[in-house]
Amino acid sequence: MLILRRIPRWATTGGALVAVLLCAGLLQLANANPAASQTLTLTAWQASEDPGLDPNHELWSRTQFVQAPLTAQAGSYAAGGGSIPVVWARALHYNNTLYVRLEWEDSTQDGSALKVEQFADAAAVEFPAKSATSVPSVCMGQADMGVNIWQWRADSLGNPNELYANSVVDTYPSTDDLFYTARAAGNPYANPKQGPVQNLVAVAFGTLSPAATQDVQGQGAYSNGRWSVVFSRPFTGASEDLAAFTAGTSTDIAFAVWNGSEGDRNGRKSVSSFLTLNVSGAAIPEPEGSDWLVLALAAGALLVIGGGGIGLGLYGLREGKRSA
Amino acid sequence: MAKVYNWQLGREMDYRFPNGKAKRQFAAVFNINRCIACQTCSMACKSTWTFSPGQELMWWNNVETKPYGGYPNHWDVNILALQEKANPGAQVWDAARRSGRAAPYGVFEGKTIFETADQVNNMVTGYIPPEADWKAPNIHEDTATAAPAAGVTLPEHGGWFFYLQRICNHCSYPACLAACPRNAIYKREEDGIVLIDQNRCRGYRKCVEACPYKKSMYRPSTRTSEKCIACYPRIEGSDPLTEGLPMETRCMAACVGKIRLQGLVRVDDRGEWIEDRQNPLYYLVHVAKVALPLYPQFGTQPNVYYIPPRWVPRPYLRQMFGPGVDDAIAAYTHPERETVAVLQLFRASQRIVFSYKIEPGPKTAEITVGGQKREIFNDTIIGYDSNGKEVVRVTVDEPTAERPGQLNSI
Ligand code: SF4
Ligand code: SF4
Ligand code: SF4
Repeated sequence: MLILRRIPRWATTGGALVAVLLCAGLLQLANANPAASQTLTLTAWQASEDPGLDPNHELWSRTQFVQAPLTAQAGSYAAGGGSIPVVWARALHYNNTLYVRLEWEDSTQDGSALKVEQFADAAAVEFPAKSATSVPSVCMGQADMGVNIWQWRADSLGNPNELYANSVVDTYPSTDDLFYTARAAGNPYANPKQGPVQNLVAVAFGTLSPAATQDVQGQGAYSNGRWSVVFSRPFTGASEDLAAFTAGTSTDIAFAVWNGSEGDRNGRKSVSSFLTLNVSGAAIPEPEGSDWLVLALAAGALLVIGGGGIGLGLYGLREGKRSA
Repeated sequence: MAKVYNWQLGREMDYRFPNGKAKRQFAAVFNINRCIACQTCSMACKSTWTFSPGQELMWWNNVETKPYGGYPNHWDVNILALQEKANPGAQVWDAARRSGRAAPYGVFEGKTIFETADQVNNMVTGYIPPEADWKAPNIHEDTATAAPAAGVTLPEHGGWFFYLQRICNHCSYPACLAACPRNAIYKREEDGIVLIDQNRCRGYRKCVEACPYKKSMYRPSTRTSEKCIACYPRIEGSDPLTEGLPMETRCMAACVGKIRLQGLVRVDDRGEWIEDRQNPLYYLVHVAKVALPLYPQFGTQPNVYYIPPRWVPRPYLRQMFGPGVDDAIAAYTHPERETVAVLQLFRASQRIVFSYKIEPGPKTAEITVGGQKREIFNDTIIGYDSNGKEVVRVTVDEPTAERPGQLNSI
């Protein structure tokens, strides 16, 4: 099990402050390019062996993380969320396949949505589509610059009767796919063969749709009040609306976390802005002597949107690695 | 936010989307006075659409005993309480400002469920009834408010209950549709039926939260929400039984108590009914005014209309059906000759009746109701389908035959 040291309070509050100012919706409305806020870089190192999908694979404990501040989604209906202030992100690649690992604190493990009032914990990573010529809006992209989203969910399909050991059903006349309407309609969300991660595309709010290929894999693990989730997909995306990666180049990456017991789902979530994802040709650096390597501290950024001159504040960040 | 016209409220109101195109609207009249709570309608729906894994708690059609029963439990008082909290003391009508089809019940001066929402976190004021609330669909069946020793008399019984038959209202301004952040819910131009696209739904349950009638339901075996589909293959005439003609839904056609009449009414792009004098639904809602919308103050402009129960205390009914209640009960207790004939169409045919004609018959009885004399005429009402072809012919007096004593097997 990978253990992170507690992040100092100043780092998280600084991040949260910034994130509030970094109103995703304003960016969307102004159609502004949020590239200027990309002061954080997540490096995907070349792994010496396949990290696989296990979030507790030993390789991850040797990989530097980036601490990305999250905030409530305030820009668009359905707004809300914000109960998860920070996510720790790591990335590796092996054999032309990208692996991203997210970790966050959540004292409630919401792994079932069998009851109507239950919502599952979830997390997502977002990338610009291959076809995007510039950085799209972090808020679901825009018409000419789409985004590719990989979403992991803690729950799986089920029948409410599973909740009640003594429940009895005489018979179900048919259990063909046709009688699971959403499944018959081709909704991957309703497909029992679908893994925990969905591959999605969007070009604006309300347009999020399953991608034609469902080739993103992933796995989550919960322990000691923390979720850790690994996402993985080959570098080459199956189509232009998906993300593509090449060693030695950079793209962008953003994160979102849903806290089920807070009623989080859809727009109600904790979100980051875009970070730079640097797909490095280099191997994981050897550990330094210090406990934490502080690569960058708070970086100030002032982003002027339109004529309004809305200041965006400090971006607290720490990137470090844990000594072996 | 767009401004739309809600004729049931007699005023404009805020809605997320402007009016779309509309040709016809699915609508029905339920006569509460006649329901026997046999639940044949509930079973007709369940055995057609919701008998598969994950749908165990789903009753797209349900019949509940008021005032205590409810599926999900207490759905209506919960919404009323949320609205009252958001706009205390001001959820009132001005019944004096009635005017024609544009404001037949006066003007609602309170706020709708759209107008009490912040439009950022929520488009609609609502709540998600927890699973427990869906598990006793017929709780408090036949439970009366009291059992007065002296018995009960009209016009208002001292101890009372009544059955409320409920399906999705295929609202003109659906709360479920307004709440869906993914635009997975749509309202069809051709018949106003409101559907959830099962391919786009991602189970966020914003519609479950928003629908004030709680007729959008969650299915964990597909992680999507499902709702009454108004048996659209029958409405379209694509059910093999229908021979290409629009046919009433399963829950309507199965109704043992003959309380239900369903059809399609012509509407304009503002959601108002276009004058269609010989359509039986138009007649009952806009001419005789015996049938009223359920909780019109929620603001969704629901399309199932109820003939209110005659014996129930009026304040309760006014809260449920608006200020049109007193006139509706009077019009039902002392009906016009035409109303008596139109009521015969209920469950006379599975084919949707688009228009009717009445052939006058002889006077067959004189009765006294509430001290008022009434004459009964054995008129014949003829119903026509969408092509103007006769599909049904019924008389006011039910034909009877007397069986000779020696053939009586009892
Ligand atoms: S079938 Fe008709 S009479 Fe029976 S419960 Fe349903 S609405 Fe009432
Ligand atoms: S009754 Fe509810 S589910 Fe049906 S259309 Fe109206 S708001 Fe939507
Ligand atoms: S109209 Fe059809 S789908 Fe809707 S409640 Fe009635 S039987 Fe069920």
